[in-house]
Order: sequence, then structure tokens, then C-alpha cells
Amino acid sequence: MRLWHIFHSRLRSVFFRDRREDDLREELEFHLERETERLEASGTPREAARFQALRLFGGPEQIKEECRDARGTGFVDDTIRDIRYALRGFARAPLVAFTIVSTIGLGLGLVTVAFTFLNMVLFRQDQVPNIHEMFAVDRPRTAEREPAPLTRAHLDDLRRGTTIFTDAYGEISGIDFPVDGRVLLMTFTTANFFQVVGVNAAMGRTLMPGDDEPLAGRPVIVLSDRGWDRLFARDPAVLGRALLVSGVSLEVVGVMPEGFRGLSIVPPDYWAPLSMVDDVVPTYRGRGAHVDVRVVGRLKPGISRQTAQAGLAVWSASQPSGSPLGPLASSGSRGAPGMTLVPWRGTVQQPLEAMVVTGPLFFAFGLILLIGCANVANLLLARAVARQREIGIRLSLGAARGRIVRQLLTESLLLAVLAAAAGFAISRVALRALVDAMLTSWPPEIGDLQLLVPAADWRVLLFLMIGAGISAMFFGLAPALQATRIEPVRTMRGEVVRDARPGRARDLLIGVQVSASAILLICAVVFLRSALAAATADPGLRTVDTIAIQIAKEATRTAMVQAVAAEPSVVAFAASSPGALGASRTAVAETAGAKATVAYKFVSPDFFSVLDIPVVRGRAFTVDERSPDLPVAIVSETAARVLWPGADAIGQVVRLERDPRADVRAADEPRFQPRSVTVVGVVRDVAGFRIAPFPKSIVYLPTGAAVPGTAVIARVQGDPERARQALIKRLTTIDPGMEQAGSEQVGVLGWIVRMETYLLKVGFWFTIGLGGLALVLTLSGLFSVLSYLVEQRTREIGVRMALGATTADVTRLVLSQSIRPVGAGLLLGSGAAAGLSALLLATPGAEFIGQIVHVLDPIAYGASLLVITAACLAAASIPATRAARLDPTLTLRQE
Amino acid sequence: MSDQTDVLQGTLDLLIMRTIALEPMHGWAIAQRIQQISDELLRVQQGSLYPALHRLEHQGWIVADWGASENNRRARFYSLTKAGRKQLDVEVSKWERLSAGVNLVLQRT
Repeated sequence: MRLWHIFHSRLRSVFFRDRREDDLREELEFHLERETERLEASGTPREAARFQALRLFGGPEQIKEECRDARGTGFVDDTIRDIRYALRGFARAPLVAFTIVSTIGLGLGLVTVAFTFLNMVLFRQDQVPNIHEMFAVDRPRTAEREPAPLTRAHLDDLRRGTTIFTDAYGEISGIDFPVDGRVLLMTFTTANFFQVVGVNAAMGRTLMPGDDEPLAGRPVIVLSDRGWDRLFARDPAVLGRALLVSGVSLEVVGVMPEGFRGLSIVPPDYWAPLSMVDDVVPTYRGRGAHVDVRVVGRLKPGISRQTAQAGLAVWSASQPSGSPLGPLASSGSRGAPGMTLVPWRGTVQQPLEAMVVTGPLFFAFGLILLIGCANVANLLLARAVARQREIGIRLSLGAARGRIVRQLLTESLLLAVLAAAAGFAISRVALRALVDAMLTSWPPEIGDLQLLVPAADWRVLLFLMIGAGISAMFFGLAPALQATRIEPVRTMRGEVVRDARPGRARDLLIGVQVSASAILLICAVVFLRSALAAATADPGLRTVDTIAIQIAKEATRTAMVQAVAAEPSVVAFAASSPGALGASRTAVAETAGAKATVAYKFVSPDFFSVLDIPVVRGRAFTVDERSPDLPVAIVSETAARVLWPGADAIGQVVRLERDPRADVRAADEPRFQPRSVTVVGVVRDVAGFRIAPFPKSIVYLPTGAAVPGTAVIARVQGDPERARQALIKRLTTIDPGMEQAGSEQVGVLGWIVRMETYLLKVGFWFTIGLGGLALVLTLSGLFSVLSYLVEQRTREIGVRMALGATTADVTRLVLSQSIRPVGAGLLLGSGAAAGLSALLLATPGAEFIGQIVHVLDPIAYGASLLVITAACLAAASIPATRAARLDPTLTLRQE
Repeated sequence: MSDQTDVLQGTLDLLIMRTIALEPMHGWAIAQRIQQISDELLRVQQGSLYPALHRLEHQGWIVADWGASENNRRARFYSLTKAGRKQLDVEVSKWERLSAGVNLVLQRT
């Protein structure tokens, strides 16, 4: 009750201000009237009574003010007054306000870009009722191996055999499929999908149980909002229209509401019944109930995840090990439950990885925001000196220091709110530009890129507001405190008080800016140099006109190899296992004198000539040496040096044993048979690529294209891409699944080079753009601060010159103002960059990062520091020369 | 007149609440009542009465309603809230402890 009274009273005082004032006036008037009456009754004449009542009462205005204070409404009133005051100030200096809003807006906008991405993958759960009940059934992941997926038959059995789920559905998601030059993203689901998630169609209907029968009448699909937009341009009469996908006409029966993503991060264009997958997608043809699906279920209300997991374990243990479903309990991992439940809410499953990916974005964009804030803080510091007189007057009129600090902070906060609005607009534009840039620059041979401009939601807005608040504190607090630390009397006389000269704060801010720009520029140069190095590096094997072909079905091997041989553009071909770029496996090699872990690879006789790997000594495999069982081997130069130091490797015998540490095999891979082999040749080391380096110490064993498990490597003539298309066409006649072959199945090796230079280029453009922006902001900050200082010290400089200072002295005086903070900033920045690199190198991914970029490149450090120094000098020289050109007589007369 | 004492700082709240505990009253009447009941010993500074009333209202101990006064005019009548009654008990016992303490000090020294 009391709270209600308080709330009610405060609400009234805030919102019914006029009414409250009227009440107060009437109440006090009544009191006076009553008092007058009392005095009148005791015989005083009316006029005198009224006067005495007033005298007893005291000043009504003062009492009113005290009553207002007692009500605590001062805060709101003050804030409103502060806002009005601030707005008047902005109107008086619109350019300053604009500069601040745009600088902070830019920084906030960029940070918001990073947050919008993070929000999309991490926080934006799908709009599904009771989403916390949704769980995917997963097999535990082992370190090296993806778990074997569940099949549709498992799903059916699970629905029959357990009671933990209200219901569960199976889906094959994220299949992209080119139709009319556009890539469609589709998901195949069991018909109960929409019932399980509990979302209804916005238009038409969802899938019905009958739709998923193998012999259902017409094949139907349900569009997502995105698909409706992309494929049918939001045609209101879309129901009943058809979409032709690989010869199958799919009828649209429904459109899902906007915002429903089907529990994935990016919604598919449409959902189709699972039974249609083999009609539509050739690679799934003929797999029936054994098609791999992801199983997602809705837990029954009140069942905990642990209980459900136990229920699943019971179910999986009850599966007969010889059943056609295959063993479910994960073999090998003793004690581990066979199944786990993973929350399935349309967000990324590995939050840590998402943080790692967006972390650098936040860092880089945050630096820009930091520089912007420092710039604005500097500007406000300078303005605070200019406003000393105004503030001095207010202080001497009795304003409390806290009150003025609050007023200045309100100003900053107001600016920050405006900046947040600008930042929101900037983030939308930047996101669109980023996505467009990625889509247009993405090399097509790497694969299709699915990118959407992520939508902003309340979390993004909240983030913006918090960011704006923090920025306001950062750029507004120091100037506000500094501005009020003055002596009223002296400032009224127009003196600038020495203590209030915010030299130290200013130096600190410049230092921060310079170091932030240094970090970004160093990153940019590191990326640039790595990209250049990658583009010119010799991988040690031929990539431009080499095409790698994976044979998916062993039954078609002979025909496939013949088709490759028959293709006229193919000049020569070889085979290897694993494929040309595949990661080699390791074995333990033992000779009379040495024991070492080496990589091994099975290659056909033509392997070295097709890939241009020179044979240094001895010979390559002969045409007859095409069986993996032959006891011959060829070693790389490094392997030869390691195994037979100081001796000729040719003719030596080496014993190859299984590597006990790397005994993880893919299911279809034959176990390595230990053997003794005789070295017949030595070949040059193959360096490989930055993103896929090859082991230097490697033993090649013989094989042939006819041996199962090998991939074909073909050297082609003419345009490699055309040759690739011709090959795909030829191979499709044998295996229809090859029609949709991507780069991983039939690909020009050159793509990997493109890929790595592309990645480095993206890194370079990204950091150079940001680094440039940072530098421009820093320079403009430095420039304006120095110009301002020169203006402030005109009189002092004039006196100096009158006393005989030369122009060189004056220039030095001004430049020296900037040398210390810039120098400190450079040191700090490069130190921070080196520290970050060291930190990066200490992470588990260090080896990989180290191969791609040379993080501690001294030339990168030197170059970027030089650029910053030169730029700062240039920015400082303008105010310096202006100071040097001052006419002492003029400046002195001015005073 | 001269032997009237101004209400002690800090006790005005207590006196106001005690006074309106019996029946709702307007500001002027509260001041009069305090004076009467104290046999004209205590005088409420009229200027500090209203800020005190507004502060108590703001704190939720009392509420104000418009009503007709004894001379048939609109006046703001203050009454205790439930929380205000509890607060009054607290204040009274606090005051009793304080005055007892002060009396003891005065008697024993």
C-alpha cells in the first residue's frame, strides 16, 4: 500500500505538474485565509489580520519551493531544464553537435554491426512456443570424428520406443540447390515438423501427415517468409503456384509467418516432405529409410533433460547390435551415454566459437569507437575551457558543482542518444554494404555463399543504448569534472585558470588514439604482407590446370576412371589416397639408425609428373607398380634426411608401423598394414598452402586409379573451368549424383590458392579500412587540439617572438606539444599489438594462425609506425606554421 | 506568547502524525491542534509545516484528500496511511527512549 501511495504521489507530481501547482497554491491560500479569519475573530481589522497572517506564515513562494523539494520532484524538473538548456546549446553551436553525433554514431554503428551478427547466431531464438522444450538428439562428438548421424528408421523407432518426447521430427536441412541460376536453400522434414514446433502457417496450410507418404499425390512445399519474398515476390495468390526443382513440380500449399526460421539460424526458402528428398536431390536417390536425418523433439512438459537423456540411453541400449539400424551406442567411448540432448533453439550450438569469431570484430570496431570518444572528449575539453566564463558565472551564482557536472553530463547523454540513433542507421547501411561486398567478391569456385542482412531486434537497440550510455560517460565525464574545477572569481575576470588547462587529459586521449590506430594499421600491414607472400609463394605442386575428382560410389569406379581418360581436355591423370589436398595420415618409420613419425600417402606412378613434383634422385614408380602391397616407396627430401642422415636413401629399407597416436580412421578407410619397404626414389618437398600445409617428411607408397578409395587427379589443357564442366557432364552420365558436384567433388586445385588469398585480402581490406578511418579520426583530433592550443597561446607566442624567439623556436614549441603523447601512443600501440599476437600465439589455434599470417612481422610494425608518425607530423605542422607566422606586434596589440 | 517554544527539530513529523491519527485534518487545523493540546506551550512554525506535510506524503506515511472544512471551504485533509500508523508507533517509541534518556542525564548530573 505504502509503495502504491508513493508511486501515485510521484506519478502525479511528475505528470500533473500544473495540477500539483494549483493544489499547492490553493492549500496555502486556504491556510492564510483561515488564519486571517482567526485573527479577525479576535478583533483585529481585516487588513491588519491579513498582514499579520502573512508575517506569521513567511514567504509563500519560498514555502512552495520547499514543498516541491520535499516531494523530490526536483530531479525530473532539473533534467527537463538541463535538456532544454543543452538543446539551446546545440542550436548555438550546431557544427560541434554534428561532429560529436557523427563521430560517436560511426563508432556505435560499427560496434552494433558486430553485435547484430553475434545476436543473430547467439541470442536470437526462433519464434516457437515453449522453445525451451526443443532438443536435438545427438551422438557425442569425439575429438577427431563427427558422430554418425541418425537415420529416418532410427527416428521412427524412437517415436515408437520412447515416451520422453511429446513428438519428434526428422529433417535434412541446409541443402542448397541451383534453380534458374539462383541457389535455393531447402529443408526436408517429416510431415509432423510444424505440429511439433507448434507454429501455424500465415497463409494456406502447413505439411500434413499424408504429404510425407512415399506415394503422396502431388509433391507440396511450404514457403518461408523469405522464400515467399525471394521466389514469388510476395505474390498474395501464391497458393497453388508451382516451383520446378530438378524436374519435379512442387506445389506451394502454405506460407509461414515472418520471423519463423524453422529452428535454424537462416530460414530455408521452403520446407518439403522428407520422402521427396530422393526425387529432388540426386545424391539422396535410393537411400529410403537409411537417409541421414537430424532428429529434434519436444520434451514432454515436466521431463528434465537428465531424465530424458536417461530414457534415451535405455532406448539406445535396447537396440539389438545386429539390427539393421546399426549399433547406436557409441562404440569405443566406454561409459559415455550413447545419446545426448542438445538445446535446439535456432542459435549456434557453440557459443564460444561464435564469440571467438566475432571477438576480433568487436575489438576492431570498439577501437574506432574508442578513438571517436577520445576525439569528442578532447573537443569537449577544449569547449570547457571556452565555457569557463559561463560556468564560472553559474558557480558564483550559487550553483552546486554537482549540479553543473550533472548538467554537462546530461548534455553528453543527449548527444549520445542522438549518436545512437545515427549509429543505428549507420549499422544498417554498413551491414548491407558488408554483405553486398562479401557476395560480389566471393570467388565462385569456393562454393555458394549464403548471407543475409541480419535483422535488428530489441536486443540490438538495448545494446546501442547501453553503448551510448557508456560512451557518454567516457567522453563526457572527464571534461565535465575538469570544467567545474575552476575558481569563479578569476574566470569572471576572463582569466584561464592554470589548473583547469586540461593538458594531461588531452595528452592521454591523444596517446590512446594513436595507439589504437597503431594496432589497426599494424594488423592491416600484416595481412597485406601475408597476402602478397601467399600470392607469390610456391606451393611446390601444380594447381592452375589440375582438377581433383572424388569418386563417391566405388561401384562406378572403373567407368568413372575410363570417362576421365576419355575426356579430350585431360592430358594426363594420376590417383592418390588421400586426394591431392587431403590431409595425410601418419605412421612410425623405423630404420637401422632412426625412428620418426612420417606422413604417408598412396600415389599412382603418374602422380609426380601430373603435379610437377620433381624426382631428385632415383626414380618414380614404374607403370607396373600400381599395387598398394608392393614393398617399394619414394620419400621426400626431408624424410630422407631425417631417416638416413648423411647417407643416400636410395636402396635403403624402412619399416612402417601404425602410429599409435593417430589411430582414428574414417569408417570407409582401410586400416594401415605395417610393412617394410625399399626406397627407390627421392622427390622434392611439397610446401603446400598456408591454409592447408603439407607435411614435409612424407613417404609415398604405390597405388593405382583402380584401387578403391583413391581420388583421381587430372591435368587438363585449355580453360580449366570449361574442362571441369566437361568432366562433370561426362561423369553425370555414369553417376547422376555428380550433376550437383561442388568444388569438393570435382574441383580445380587453383581454388585453394584463391581461397587463401581471398581470406587474406578480406582481412587486409577490413583492417586497412578501419586503420585508415582510425588514422583520419586521430589526425583530425590532433589537428584540432593543436590548432586550439595555438589559438589559446597566441598571446604567449607573441610575447616570445617579441622577445626574440625565431620561427623555428615557435614551430618546435608547438610540435613538442604533440611529440610526447604521439610517441607514447606509438609505443603503447605496438606493444599492445605485439602482446595480442603473443596471446594469439598462445592459443590452441596458434599453429594454424601462424601458417596463415606472420603476426610478428617487423616490417609491418615499422611501416605502420612510420606512416602514423609522418601523418601526425603533417597534421601538427599546419598549426605549427600558423603559429610561426604570427605577427608579434599584431597579437600584442590585440590584447 | 513569549513562553511558547518552537517545535524541536525532528519532532514535527511525530507531532503531525500523532495529531492526525485521530481524524483527518487540514494543515491549519493541525498547527492549531498542536498548539492547543500542548496548552500553548508548543508553536508550530507555519512555514515549516507544509514542507513537512508534503515530505510525509511523499514518503507514503500520510495521504491528502480534498474535503470541506469547518467553515465550508475546500481544504486539503491529511490522514495516516496504514504504513503511517506503524511508522507512528516506531517514532513514538523512539521519542520515548530519547526523552527518557535526556531526562536521566538531566537528573543525574
